Amino acid sequence: MSILANKDTRVVIQGGAAGVNAARRMAEFCYLIKRPLNVEAFVYPPDAGKTNEIPYGSGLMAIPIYKTIAEATKNHSTINTSLVYIGADRAMKGAMEALDDSHIKVVSMITEGVPEKDAKLLGAHARKLGKVFNGPSSIGIISAGACRLGVIGGAFDNLVLSKLYREGSFGVITKSGGLSNEIIWICSQFADGITTAIGIGGDAYPGTDYVSYLEMFENDPQTKAVVIVGEMGGDLEERAAEWYGAKKRRVKLIGVVSGFCQESLPKGMKFGHAGAKEGMKGEGSARSKSDALKKAGAIVPPTFGALGPAIKDAYQELLKSGQIKEIIEPVSLPKLPKTVEEAIKADEVMVAPLIRTTISDDRGDEPCYDGYPASELINKGYEIPHVIGLLWDKRLISKQEAEIIKRIMMLSADHGPCVSGAYATILAACAGIGLSQAVAAGLIMIGPRFGGAVTDAGRWFKYAVDNKMNVDEFLAYMKKNVGPVPGIGHRVKSLRNPDKRVKELVGYVKSLHIKTPCLDFALQVEQVTAAKKDNLILNVDGTMAAVLVDLGFPVDSLNGFFILSRTIGLIGHWVDQKRQDSRLIRLFDYLVNYAAPKRREVPPLK
Amino acid sequence: MAKVLEGPGMGLMKKWGIHVPNYVVVTSADELAKLGQANDWMKNSKLVAKAHEALGSRFKLGLVKVGLDLAGAVAATKEMIGRQVGSITVSQVIVSEMIPHKEEYYCAVKSTREGSEILVANCGGIEVESNWDRVKRLCLEVGQAPTHEALEKLSKDAGFTGALSKKMADFAGKMFTCFDTEDAQYLEVNPVVIREHDGELVALDAVTLLDGDAKFRHPDWNFQFAAEFGRAYSKDEMEVMAVDSKIKGSVKFIEIPGGDTAMLPAGGGASVYYSDAVVARGGKLANYAEYSGDPPDWAVEVLTEKVCSLPGIKNIIVGGAIANFTDVKKTFGGIINGFRKAKGDGKMKNVKIWVRRGGPREKEGLDAMRALKDEGFDIHVFDRNTPLTDIVDKALHK
Repeated sequence: MSILANKDTRVVIQGGAAGVNAARRMAEFCYLIKRPLNVEAFVYPPDAGKTNEIPYGSGLMAIPIYKTIAEATKNHSTINTSLVYIGADRAMKGAMEALDDSHIKVVSMITEGVPEKDAKLLGAHARKLGKVFNGPSSIGIISAGACRLGVIGGAFDNLVLSKLYREGSFGVITKSGGLSNEIIWICSQFADGITTAIGIGGDAYPGTDYVSYLEMFENDPQTKAVVIVGEMGGDLEERAAEWYGAKKRRVKLIGVVSGFCQESLPKGMKFGHAGAKEGMKGEGSARSKSDALKKAGAIVPPTFGALGPAIKDAYQELLKSGQIKEIIEPVSLPKLPKTVEEAIKADEVMVAPLIRTTISDDRGDEPCYDGYPASELINKGYEIPHVIGLLWDKRLISKQEAEIIKRIMMLSADHGPCVSGAYATILAACAGIGLSQAVAAGLIMIGPRFGGAVTDAGRWFKYAVDNKMNVDEFLAYMKKNVGPVPGIGHRVKSLRNPDKRVKELVGYVKSLHIKTPCLDFALQVEQVTAAKKDNLILNVDGTMAAVLVDLGFPVDSLNGFFILSRTIGLIGHWVDQKRQDSRLIRLFDYLVNYAAPKRREVPPLK
Repeated sequence: MAKVLEGPGMGLMKKWGIHVPNYVVVTSADELAKLGQANDWMKNSKLVAKAHEALGSRFKLGLVKVGLDLAGAVAATKEMIGRQVGSITVSQVIVSEMIPHKEEYYCAVKSTREGSEILVANCGGIEVESNWDRVKRLCLEVGQAPTHEALEKLSKDAGFTGALSKKMADFAGKMFTCFDTEDAQYLEVNPVVIREHDGELVALDAVTLLDGDAKFRHPDWNFQFAAEFGRAYSKDEMEVMAVDSKIKGSVKFIEIPGGDTAMLPAGGGASVYYSDAVVARGGKLANYAEYSGDPPDWAVEVLTEKVCSLPGIKNIIVGGAIANFTDVKKTFGGIINGFRKAKGDGKMKNVKIWVRRGGPREKEGLDAMRALKDEGFDIHVFDRNTPLTDIVDKALHK
């Protein structure tokens, strides 16, 4: 048997992420003891109507989420216990709701930092209703082989190591979450393990005291001894001593109390638990608690270290008197299925990867670009063009190449609001569309007629150079097989109104005295085409393309340079419109040639 | 539990209709002089000046001056501000109106398991402590407010008679209202006095402990909480507190000057058992510390650096029980980084480290700690099979 939590315990968890985590731990325990999952529902208004997925073995259980406790218990009439994982400022309201539901008999609050007054009100309310309010700051309740409420007991390995899959003979009550596992472990190593372990919480005035649980343990024939782990502050241990000493009890009581160090520490020291504070006028000290327990006939080992041997002695005595028999451990226990990650780590499975990447890896403490850690690149003076080089062409480009790319980026970052990309972004921004969508709208404009001729220009100039064509051969080939030469021609610039950007870029690249076969060829092409018509000049797309091909960038990456640099401008235009709180754009009628038919009568439907 | 200094404590009482003397809290003598020009009471009544700090025995230290005129109060303030007492520098002075009085009484409200208790005595000042049996109590359940009749009975039981009995009952009622509405855990006025000119009961002093956890429903708590152990928090303690307020989980740190055994244990419960073990072994604690609730590793790293910076330490106890969900590997990662930094700063010379822990990823965490040996740390690592506090015995074994 057990107390508070047993095979019939059915749970609703109030709260979000922390509650889901608890449900997962509870499912691990249910799986270990081969029982169905004991969590029936969640109450978490923001996600009401959805489900939380809880792994059980290798499967997944979908547990419904409700808005209120009433809805949860209406749909799951077996629910009798609530675990509260709601934040401290709303915890009381949530717990009251649970206490007031007639289905629920036990409410255990895990929330820490709950105001003292709230905890007292909840405790008083529960007592009035004849229910149990456990906590706040409770780590949970666990009955070996029967039920786990909350994360008490720790990880799956620890559940097994602490023999929590089957019942022992020792009850445990602690104020400390961390120590609860320690005591359970000790009980399983020095004795035959536990019946139920309860975290009552470390607050000054928990909803329930040791005495209420001691009574329950006394009435549970399976529990032969109870270990309480106390600390200075409050009077729970003294009251336990009083209870124990009041008459002959069936259970043995073993207790340790912490806080003796207080005798040699500065007055008023604050310890980890809210309840662990100095008592008034000597009450509540570790010594007075220890003395009271001893006087009442409890076994009180002098230090925490002596607790294990004390439990062992008590166990041996119970064995000798025939009150308990030695337990034969089960031959095999369910193993928690490994996750794929764990199985790979253990070299147990091989998984065929879904995708393959050769440029970057962020599994370490920082991203590596083609193997180079980002921070190292930064600290050794590398810049954005080098990152482009690594990610687009898998090579560490030179300082000179980086400078050319930087200039290309700066020259093509933005060309005013009237070009297709910027205009589309502005239009979207004025319609109230968000940054990424509006910028995407602008980027979609990049194509053969706007900004997207870089790749094609590069491809054909390269084709000509690779095939050692002269300009005439090239133009004839293009006319026959392709069409207008990409990278040649401008809508507004011409020989008389030259494009400064092109001049600047060509001038700089030429000044470096590097080999630029593509650029040289493109300039020769321009001489011929511009002579035919003065706006058939080499444009920015064509210049970028020729230079980048000369630097060795893959032809298919070339439009990327335009997309990347122009994104800077598009973001600027979106922010600019946002800043001005621009209104929705509607074209003026005079900007449209209404070439549609004049108004006419709709013929009858045939 | 959060202690509040006298000024804000009086402010809360005043808010609930309790008479308190006129007072100001100042940070310089000039400020007081300026306020003196604007406030008639400072010119017309005798004044009391007290250092406004979390300091015990201020009277003995000469940090309370009574019966002053404004010039005297300015001089006293000038003298007190900047004075160094242990680790505290006096930075504020509270100057209040002196209330001439003959009789002194006592009134307090304290938190109890069931609710609260109102305490009233017909004596006050130091007389209360030697006459504790004269203190009468009224117990109240949580959610319950005292009736007029109950308060008057309390007042009469304590020996008050006639009109004064009614006034004391009224005073105690207001104290309860303040206690209850302000989420207090302890309120004490000692002494309560009768103001001669109008016969009203006035709170001459205020001890105020509030429930820090209830701060979320008191947006007007715009004051800082004070340390409860008779000294101000140190810079390192404040830094850890600032980290603590930012994270999920918790990190705590209190310095104890003169110790040689530093503590870096996990868990609010286990940390005290570790401290006990050190004291029981005759060791001298250099600090109290604790981390729990799966805090981020950087927060544990900050805590570790502070622990390693404690002067004169010989042993660091990295103890802990078997964690429920605190990731041992991750939190140990923070500790290891802290150790490395401290060592880099030349701090870990002749310091032995003792580790015992269990919980999620315990093996990986303990292995990482063991590996520190190769970096020249004097480290001793134990697992769950070593009883909790045995590392303290090993560390302090002479």
